[in-house]
Amino acid sequence: MVDVNKLREIAREVISREDVRELIGYRPGTYGFRARPAFVMGPDEVDELIFTPACVNNLASYIALEEKPPVRRGEEPDLRKVAVMVKGCDSRALVQQMEEKAYDRDQILVLGIPCTGVVDMAKVQERFPDVLEPAEITLEGDKFILSFNGSKEEVPGEELLAEKCKRCRYPTPLVYDELLDEEVERFADDDYSDVEALENRSVEEKWDYWEEKFSRCIRCYSCRNVCPMCYCEDCVLDRLQPMWMRRSVDISENTAYHVARAYHLAGRCIQCGECERVCPVDIPLMELNRKFYKDVEDLYDYEPGTEVEAEPLLSTFSVDDSEEFIM
Amino acid sequence: MAVKKLSKEKIAEVLQELSKFRLIAPALSDDVVIFKEIQDPEEAYLDYGNSTVPPKKVVFPQTETLFRFQIGNPELTEKDVGEEGTTVIFGLRPCDARAMAIVDKLFRWDYDDPYYLKRRELVTLVGMACVEPPSINCFCTSVGGSPFGKEGLDLLLTDMGDEHYLVQALTEKGEKLQETLAPHLGDAGDKDESKVEELAKEAEGKILRSINPEGIPEKLPGLWDHGLWKEASASCLGCGICTFLCPTCHCFDIQDEVEESGEGRRARMWDSCMFSEYTVHASGHNPRPTRKERTRNRINHKYSYYPDRFDVIACVGCGRCINLCPVNIDILDILEQVVEA
Amino acid sequence: MAENNSDFEPDIVAFLCNWCSYAGADLAGTSRVHYPSNVRVIRVMCSGRVNPLFVMNALQQGADGVIVAGCHPGDCHYMTGNYYARRRFNLMRNFLEYLGVEPERVRMSWVSASEGTKWKEVVEEVTEDIKKIGPMDKFKRRQLNW
Repeated sequence: MVDVNKLREIAREVISREDVRELIGYRPGTYGFRARPAFVMGPDEVDELIFTPACVNNLASYIALEEKPPVRRGEEPDLRKVAVMVKGCDSRALVQQMEEKAYDRDQILVLGIPCTGVVDMAKVQERFPDVLEPAEITLEGDKFILSFNGSKEEVPGEELLAEKCKRCRYPTPLVYDELLDEEVERFADDDYSDVEALENRSVEEKWDYWEEKFSRCIRCYSCRNVCPMCYCEDCVLDRLQPMWMRRSVDISENTAYHVARAYHLAGRCIQCGECERVCPVDIPLMELNRKFYKDVEDLYDYEPGTEVEAEPLLSTFSVDDSEEFIM
Repeated sequence: MAVKKLSKEKIAEVLQELSKFRLIAPALSDDVVIFKEIQDPEEAYLDYGNSTVPPKKVVFPQTETLFRFQIGNPELTEKDVGEEGTTVIFGLRPCDARAMAIVDKLFRWDYDDPYYLKRRELVTLVGMACVEPPSINCFCTSVGGSPFGKEGLDLLLTDMGDEHYLVQALTEKGEKLQETLAPHLGDAGDKDESKVEELAKEAEGKILRSINPEGIPEKLPGLWDHGLWKEASASCLGCGICTFLCPTCHCFDIQDEVEESGEGRRARMWDSCMFSEYTVHASGHNPRPTRKERTRNRINHKYSYYPDRFDVIACVGCGRCINLCPVNIDILDILEQVVEA
Repeated sequence: MAENNSDFEPDIVAFLCNWCSYAGADLAGTSRVHYPSNVRVIRVMCSGRVNPLFVMNALQQGADGVIVAGCHPGDCHYMTGNYYARRRFNLMRNFLEYLGVEPERVRMSWVSASEGTKWKEVVEEVTEDIKKIGPMDKFKRRQLNW
């Protein structure tokens, strides 16, 4: 478990540095068990920082999401570093962003948090729907301890752990300037059983399944906005010329949207699971992205977000690439 | 107006009767509650808190064709909303109905929106009172609403707790529908209405979150340059969840879609003021370039501009934005900061 | 949905690279080879130019099948375009199959400038396959319905 005092000390040191503009971490949410991102601008703000299994957000998204409005005449843009706290999965986003040359390594300062898993907040809220007052979650051994309204409840880890954590290959950040806790050894692996289960269904069943999901989609673009890999300033999903998918919301355009986004993440999605978490209508987006993830691993032996020096998948090829599908 | 009683055993019969119209009721898609057209009473799911997407989409569809055209032909074929027929939305919550009454003011303001208003004419709203608040983040009582609120509804059903609903007709439309359902309804007892009033007070007491909105509309214009907007919007992703799920949000974009054949349509679809392209000009200039400006605009629109124009806060306290914002941006938190600023 | 509707004539879109497969198709034409006329050809300079979203777009606009054809590996006029295309279409085809689009609908082939007969065979095979499985209606654009 991360020692919160140590975390705040390190944060205080970091944000006091002259070359650091802001620090992105986590703080308690506005109700119940939730936690939310914190944007610390000075050492006097570090005392709200926390790290618990409720800290589900991928803060690496903010590195690429940052807006750079034009600077007023006479002013200089603030090019100082941004410090960010990342879990294992989140750190892969940073690695992949650097692999794609989105920014230089020296523009960020990474505070790595070896992670033993976060909760699925939807499951927590379903289990404890009436908790409004600020509440806390900690992990002790293989149990979550939920403290609220003066009482504590113990829940077996399995029941509240986020699905993505149950198949996490990289709990310890792959890039960091400082590590805020002991390294965590890999405690799970990914067998793609969810993808395979779908692959084995019939053609009709597959489309019935996806049609129901895509019909619910309201094109809120939350999946795209939260994704750390979706940082194009001129996104294909928004473009009017050419218009890849129309703005209208129906099964045809929604399918085009999801196919386009998943395809643009082929070899880039680092499996942080945020897209699925944020979707307000519960579309199983990870099942889409993981199909590409599995194929990319099977066919091209490539895992995104693991090595900054690696070449992006679709910018390379091998003369021996699989040709089985070619007539 | 007439007050009747409906036995829970007869709900299926009532829904069957209502399915002669275009009946929209809460239903499940996997585990997600959505309002959709149902033909079979079995599809209705009434044991629910509130739907994710509000029933505003029935009178204000997410995508709707305004007219069709053929290049070369000067005549347009306008959409005939009347073809949708009499519609009943069954089981919506008082906040969502009140939201429609609030949005009506805008669609009748400087221009009578024919599509929206025709749909409102064709729709009868049968509400279901909130004996329990659907969510811990509900705050309808702070902004002029109530879990047993009648504003905007034609009929209100209240679960009395004794295996019956009280059925109160609130408008002419409601009375008319109540008459159609008369064979399935029983008479209400003398004490039933006052029992419901008691239940209403109890329900109001169960609402956990609140804000005192007095003074907020007057205070907001002075806070234009305040630092709280930068802080409140720092974690915003710029997605459309809060706006698309908000029952009072009503912004739309209009697009022409043309096929190769020259046939096409002009359609309008929901737009979100939180999207970066919302205010992009043709020149490329964007007067709301960052999420700070857009967040400030959203709060101002709901709690300052709309009250200025229509004397009502454009927020019904349904709590959807708080529940579903991916980064826990909380409108009550922001309003508290406004009050303290 | 299997339809043995003998009236069904599939609409198939083919992206052919200028230097090899388009020339090969052209050769089939000048040689007066007979083959089904269900294919609408779009000439691109290289199979590497073909954005996999073209496949999606074609299916949305009503195509029942899509063929992408390019030069044989090693023979690309631009050296490496077809290698990139190979990766892209392998992934895209698998993904569309995962969504419920029959694999027979998205095909790729290497057709060189001298392979007029091969082009005929490709078209025949794809047309036959798609005739058997019926039209692609799953996510066709429907805006022109009210």
